[in-house]
Amino acid sequence: MPKPTPSQTVGPFFARDLLWKDGGAVLFPGRWDRITLTGCVFDGTGAPIVDALFETWQADPTGKFPSGDDGARPYGYGRVSTDTDGRYAIETVMPGSYKGPGGETYAPQISVSIFARGLLKALQTRVFLAPLEAVKDDPLARAIGDPERLRTLIATRDEKDPKLYRWDVRLRGAGEAVFIEY
Amino acid sequence: MAETRADNVHPPYLYPDYKSTRLRAPAQPLVRVPPSPLEATVPAFPKAFVKESEADLTTWGRSAPLGEKMVLVGRVLDGDGRPVRRSLVEVWQANASGKYPHPVDDHDAPLDPNFLGKGQVLTDDEGRYRIVTIKPGAYPWQNHAFGWRPAHIHFSLFGNAYAQRLITQMFFPGDPLLAIDPIFQSVPEAGRNLLIADLDLEHGIEGVALGYRWDMVLSGRHATPMGV
Repeated sequence: MPKPTPSQTVGPFFARDLLWKDGGAVLFPGRWDRITLTGCVFDGTGAPIVDALFETWQADPTGKFPSGDDGARPYGYGRVSTDTDGRYAIETVMPGSYKGPGGETYAPQISVSIFARGLLKALQTRVFLAPLEAVKDDPLARAIGDPERLRTLIATRDEKDPKLYRWDVRLRGAGEAVFIEY
Repeated sequence: MAETRADNVHPPYLYPDYKSTRLRAPAQPLVRVPPSPLEATVPAFPKAFVKESEADLTTWGRSAPLGEKMVLVGRVLDGDGRPVRRSLVEVWQANASGKYPHPVDDHDAPLDPNFLGKGQVLTDDEGRYRIVTIKPGAYPWQNHAFGWRPAHIHFSLFGNAYAQRLITQMFFPGDPLLAIDPIFQSVPEAGRNLLIADLDLEHGIEGVALGYRWDMVLSGRHATPMGV
């Protein structure tokens, strides 16, 4: 087995190279209601991280995985950087749930990768677009166990705007989000 | 197949010599799960997304950029040794004087009007890629006194599954700055050589460009969930 190539940081100088016009507007074939996932990324002191690359990968509202390559960009994939307030925003569709190989149900979720200066490896996780009670049988929720830790991966639906989901990500310290490895 | 600790070639999140890891590395252990069936698939880039000309970073300006012209070739494989076919490889780098055309780069070195330092290419059916560029310069940074980053080219890759997504850096053989670079040194010793390209003269252009080779392997750690 060949050894994997080690990871290195994305560094601070990726904006002109990796960011796309409208990279935060996730494409899907077909017409669906749109939602927005937004929030801020914070470091261990609670300061906003203004130079993170924030990526998303998700299923469509029926739980079908993106396929086809006839769009302007890949379907189902979002890529933005955080702004001067540490804020990201992904405008997309509501992901549907899907089944795993053992019949387990994956709750509505978006797979997220965060890259930044000071991150020698990507931080990977999954944000749930459903209340805590509705995700407890999800494979990741079961692996986490502790509801307080699981809560760090729950996006909150805005009370006034049902199409808006908020999710802040703390990389370290109090309220630190759960990150995953494979 | 699970990767054992002894085989681990990836850096830790927290590497105090690289100061900005101290506030950004998670303190809690990561939760180990198999990739979801979604994460076993990968974004599909439309063919028109990549233009052939984007593999040559030296033809972007009105004339040739300053610096030592080079050709870089290599293959992208997954952890099982399978080629990563028709997959997007994105690269970015400093110019020959170690300067990025980026507003937060405060290094007092000249920009090169003929060099943007940005390219992309799709691998072929054998997982091969080829880019033409100039050797980037080293540059100082403020991590520690007299700190200089060794010359490097940034790479962004997707692999055969989203769970294999990788961003990394390629370095040059024989660079004395590797020994004082905490970003490179954060990689366990067993992995460091994997980040250094080999001189490969025959893939250069006679009398014009030096040839280098750098192959990449995207981690096979549980990358294919059972039954998918």
